[in-house]
Amino acid sequence: MRPPGPTVPSAASSSSYSQREPRPENPLLLLPSSRVTKLSLGCPLLDRLLSGGLPAASVTEIAGESATGKTQLCLQLALLAPQSPLSASSLFLYSDLPFPLHRLRRLAPKSRPDILDHVLVAAAHSPTDLLSLLARAQRLLANPGRSPHRLPIRLILLDSVASLFRADFDASPADLRRRSALFFQISAKLKELAYRHQCVVVVTNQVMDVVEGDAGNTVAWSSGRRVSPALGIAWANCVNTRLFLTREVDGDGASGGARRRMKVAFAPHLPDRSCEFVIRRDGVFGVEPAER
Amino acid sequence: MAHETPGDDFAYDLRFQVVKVMNQLVMVIRLCQGAQNAWDMLSDEQSQKHTTTGSGDLNDLLGGGIHCKEVTEIGGVPGVGKTQLGIQLAINVQIPVEYGGLGGKAVYIDTEGSFMVERVYQIAEGCIRDILEHFPHSHEKSSSGQKQLQPEHFLVDIYYFRICSYTEQIAVINYLEKFLGEHKDVRIVVIDSVTFHFRQDFEDLALRTRVLSGLSLKLMKIAKTYNLAVVLLNQVTTKFTEGSFQLTLALGDSWSHSCANRVILYWNGNERYACLDKSPSLPVASAPYAVTGKGIRDDLHTNLREVDATEQATIVFLYLNMWHIIHSQINTVIREKQLQGGQLPIGMDNS
Repeated sequence: MRPPGPTVPSAASSSSYSQREPRPENPLLLLPSSRVTKLSLGCPLLDRLLSGGLPAASVTEIAGESATGKTQLCLQLALLAPQSPLSASSLFLYSDLPFPLHRLRRLAPKSRPDILDHVLVAAAHSPTDLLSLLARAQRLLANPGRSPHRLPIRLILLDSVASLFRADFDASPADLRRRSALFFQISAKLKELAYRHQCVVVVTNQVMDVVEGDAGNTVAWSSGRRVSPALGIAWANCVNTRLFLTREVDGDGASGGARRRMKVAFAPHLPDRSCEFVIRRDGVFGVEPAER
Repeated sequence: MAHETPGDDFAYDLRFQVVKVMNQLVMVIRLCQGAQNAWDMLSDEQSQKHTTTGSGDLNDLLGGGIHCKEVTEIGGVPGVGKTQLGIQLAINVQIPVEYGGLGGKAVYIDTEGSFMVERVYQIAEGCIRDILEHFPHSHEKSSSGQKQLQPEHFLVDIYYFRICSYTEQIAVINYLEKFLGEHKDVRIVVIDSVTFHFRQDFEDLALRTRVLSGLSLKLMKIAKTYNLAVVLLNQVTTKFTEGSFQLTLALGDSWSHSCANRVILYWNGNERYACLDKSPSLPVASAPYAVTGKGIRDDLHTNLREVDATEQATIVFLYLNMWHIIHSQINTVIREKQLQGGQLPIGMDNS
């Protein structure tokens, strides 16, 4: 029997890495004290929910209905990254056109007019488009010396992954398989970038209604609807951490608004818990339950 | 029938009666306490060949724990605890022999980036706390050869490989044979997760099947040759069969024949359950478990069985009257012997 031989992968992703003999890493060196591994959200309550912030070398998904604060959070993170210990530029890939430049400008601190220099944006029109963007990003990350005036990119945002898959795919089993294969390709690429360059990767996702099925950790009530993050279980297998943003419509309307909640649906390092938050002009902030 | 001496016969009957009563007592107590605590199980001799999962119920399901020399596949939906269990096993394999563990090291092959060191640290701390609780006379200072009960020492004994593509995965599994030859103290290899990098589009599906079969054969060989446990964490997918979508383990057809044991983790409402789906010797069964701050443990909510008043009264009665019962059993045997006209061994009459 012919022994199996792998074909050389078409994308020049890891050929140079796999030629070296594999070497084990010492987990002690990966402890947070050794390097900066979390990106703070700029709010102590939200940071406490996440045990410090969003982890590097990991893909975090933020899922929620529209207008629950996903894009706002992404913009906030892009502006926080250069000022945080991570000291990084961000790459903002958007598929929901147009890019919210106006909101970004409004959120930017007046004291740092140069901060927008550290936010790179690119539009992704389709899954294959995204893959070629990620290949370009890989070259950019591997050669930081090319643009010395800009901080190294250590934050990658994708807003949103669901919009990429809206067109071109119907519900036939063959198309769903094709779609799933793309999820894994995109996720593998994002995770590789995250690991090799110690980046924080954030992907936003929309939700879809679910009628039945068991609860577990992926279903929640939002705006009176029972919803679950889009793209199904296949995509759920592609992210490390899932944060669920929900909106509860207040019965009495006394506070004049909806209660918003950020919930940890699953994470390898966090217990299942949630935190209330509000969306203000200057960003997304956690609030204590008593506060309104 | 020939007996050596009348005494042998008698002694056998007596021992038998005592043992019978003791067994019944232990059984009733256990029944009311719920399933055996994971730490109690570590004192069994058999523990040398198993790695405890941290949950007594899970260990029971698996026949003592994860078996060495065998490949175990563990699958489940995202968030149900696969990585948590993988990390728990990588820690528990290191429990020193004097505390009932294997005293080995672990290889952890991370294909998805789920290995968060702060969580591994937490789980190591939880394990050490439990050791110190059950063995209160142990010290954190090490004597010669004994592992120091510090989380850092548990972390450093995990050989961690992070791989980013299927070619790297093949390379590292090929490399394992050489690595394990040089590190004979490894007793568990965890791959988290085994199919992630194979779920992209492969132009040649036949190639993928060949590669996966080759990998699975290699892993089986490694388990047997180096007398260690191989644990493969797998994802769940929806498969379109017979007109409907069903949940199955990813790439099941290429994989399923090579794993001796298969465990499916699933949600039952808000509780986590494990189902032993395939095993060379154990029946299909389910057991609950929990993911706590300390790691994988028993699900205490389902263990608090309602002990009814009669059972409670029986336990108390048996416990208080244990010696009386044994004594009366002895007397019964003595009387029977006397009735039969047999000889009693010297010193046995009425004392």
